[in-house]
Amino acid sequence: MGRDSISRRQFIHRGGAVVLGAGLSSMWLAGCGGGSDSGGGQVTYWSNLEGAGPQDYFGKNIVKPFEKSNKDTQLKVTFQPPDEMDRLVRTALQGGEGPDIVMTPGPAYAQEYIDANLFAELDDYAGEYGWDDKLLGWALDLGRVDGSLSAIPYQLQTMLLYYNKTLFEDKGMQPPKNRDELEAMAEELSGQGITPFAAGIGDDPAAIEWFPTVFWNHYSGPEALYGALSGETKFADPIFVGAIELFKTYVNNGWFGGSTERFFSNGYDAYHVDFGDGKAAMNVEGSWFMASAADYFGPAANNDNDWDWVPLPPLREGVPPELYELALGSTLSVSQRSENPDGAAAFVDYLVADKARVTEWMAAVPSAFNAPLPFQGGDFPSSMDPRVERQLVSLSQATSEGNFGYANWSFFPAKSTVYIQEESQKVLTGDTTAAEFCSGLDEVFKEDRKEGLVPKIIKPAGA
Amino acid sequence: MAAVAKRTSGRLRRRRGIVAWAFMLPLVVVNVLVILGPSVATIYYSFTEWSGLGPSEFTGLENYREILSDGDFYAAMWHNILWTAIFLTAPIFMGLLGAFLLSQITRFQMFFRIAYFIPYVVASVVNAALWQNILDPSRGIGSALASVGIPFLDGVSFFGSERLALPSVAFVNNWAWWGFVVLLFLTALQSVDTQLYDAAKVDGAGRWQQFLNVTLPGIRPTFVFVVLLSIINSLLVFDYVYIITRGGPAGASEVVGTLLYKEAFERFEAGYAAAMALGLSFVSGLIVLGFIFLRRRGWEI
Repeated sequence: MGRDSISRRQFIHRGGAVVLGAGLSSMWLAGCGGGSDSGGGQVTYWSNLEGAGPQDYFGKNIVKPFEKSNKDTQLKVTFQPPDEMDRLVRTALQGGEGPDIVMTPGPAYAQEYIDANLFAELDDYAGEYGWDDKLLGWALDLGRVDGSLSAIPYQLQTMLLYYNKTLFEDKGMQPPKNRDELEAMAEELSGQGITPFAAGIGDDPAAIEWFPTVFWNHYSGPEALYGALSGETKFADPIFVGAIELFKTYVNNGWFGGSTERFFSNGYDAYHVDFGDGKAAMNVEGSWFMASAADYFGPAANNDNDWDWVPLPPLREGVPPELYELALGSTLSVSQRSENPDGAAAFVDYLVADKARVTEWMAAVPSAFNAPLPFQGGDFPSSMDPRVERQLVSLSQATSEGNFGYANWSFFPAKSTVYIQEESQKVLTGDTTAAEFCSGLDEVFKEDRKEGLVPKIIKPAGA
Repeated sequence: MAAVAKRTSGRLRRRRGIVAWAFMLPLVVVNVLVILGPSVATIYYSFTEWSGLGPSEFTGLENYREILSDGDFYAAMWHNILWTAIFLTAPIFMGLLGAFLLSQITRFQMFFRIAYFIPYVVASVVNAALWQNILDPSRGIGSALASVGIPFLDGVSFFGSERLALPSVAFVNNWAWWGFVVLLFLTALQSVDTQLYDAAKVDGAGRWQQFLNVTLPGIRPTFVFVVLLSIINSLLVFDYVYIITRGGPAGASEVVGTLLYKEAFERFEAGYAAAMALGLSFVSGLIVLGFIFLRRRGWEI
């Protein structure tokens, strides 16, 4: 599942400017507590952080304070390319090597490692550190297989509708609240030579999965998805086929990226530049985009534009107007072969469980350290961008209020995910139909289900 | 006396044998560890269902049966064949032409040799990024030409079009490869006896006839080597396709190398990928055997 310039697995780009301001306060905060009776010795951790800024921040504000408060533990952190992380981890573990703390691309991937007995059980640590009380229940459940906790979901994400606020103000437009408004706006913008949605999968064809995620959640609806993911209904149902047909129509209309061919060839940087410059009006992307938005808007991008986000609008009547896909960028586990599992678990706890500490890091490097914690307004430091804070609080509230959906990469098993990434492209090119694509997914998903590879699914409101 | 000499000679032979093996041993060990071991493991795993993690389950010929009915595999293999066809023509023609032209000049020859060779030694990631920018539909050469009144490439999405993706990636790979072919042919050309050209001129042969009747026969071993190398490289192609299109759009540039990578590392079907890799090796082996057969039939290869 290589995805990956600014994909959801590569979202931690160029955070240097934001990082500087938050460094000192975070160091001070980190110095307060965080100590534990972790096992002594070295703990190795492979991180997916990219960019000199975030990596320096990690070393100064997370690693050093942790080692200071856990004097017997030395952390050895290696930064791996997010695209390659899973392959590198897999090869290393299979060869009897690899880090003590293992990062996977999500719960479905973690399950493969758990099945191969490569991860240590974390239930005792969950009790010791009180994770059940601190972390979001649904997220912890995703890391449990047969009742035993082996993976901690990390880097929470969701899909959003970003818009070029300056362009919208100039045109007297408001972000769309339903399908009619969205389509009317897309027609109007196209007529004015503005691409309605900046988009492209040229750097990472697998990123096409964002769109079936969005259309299934906001057209088919979370209840229908829950039914299909839990095996009660089929992906071949017209409600899923219709969603994919709508996606195809939008792409073929040139609304995503300018044309079907450009959708396939636009790279992240190219379409983000168009979005920042106002050549494209909106952008359907995950919350990870906030980490790099400053590169495309404002002084750094040589424009005077600004951005904001709204929830993606419902594309069919009956779908909740405010709906957030639950998605995870990674999971953290302790290797079964770790010689210092206590130290490894202590660092996992340090990374995910202390709200004050984590929010400080989240403010410094948006999206990189999104721990599965229940956030509320007021939890964050004043240095945090209010748009980022609003997103985190909205997503957190969605899980308690039930207005959430499901991202492919977090709730579909690996083979089904790869099927979606590969075969949905053929729908756009006309090599296959939406109905054939959905029927094929049914078959693959059925096999995944039979092998017990479907992650645990939580019910949305109304299901 | 004769018996003593015989014993001494026998000891010498044994000692020489031991010394020879002692010199070869490090290489043998490396080959066993790096080539033989993984090869045997690949053969074994090709008969198993294995996710790439943990234990595997023996399934006999199931993976091979599956490959025979796998449309994606046939499509990818077809792309490898197209790729081979491209690399058996464009770079070889360009290489021959370049080498011949270079052999005709003395000034700046070294400059051109270096200039042609540089892309070959530049990392494929760098070459790929360079051409992705040059061929970008919005910011690349197409829009630059359009701005000076030459609009025929404007907006052409080389890597986003199903029709153009495979030849465009092949073009980028060829750009990096053909300089190496030039050097091989140039070296071969320089070893052709110049008296043969003089004799041909005396017989009234023009440039083209000299090329056909003196140059080509003179460089035949190199020519066949380049053909063999091109075929094997084309079957094993991975890097440029993976970096630029990852097999897309919609599988239009998928080759067996990228397909088996996805099977192993994205679909968790490492056993199936091993069978696919062996299938590819089998085809490569057949081609090499074909060349060996032709050589035994008297071809100068």
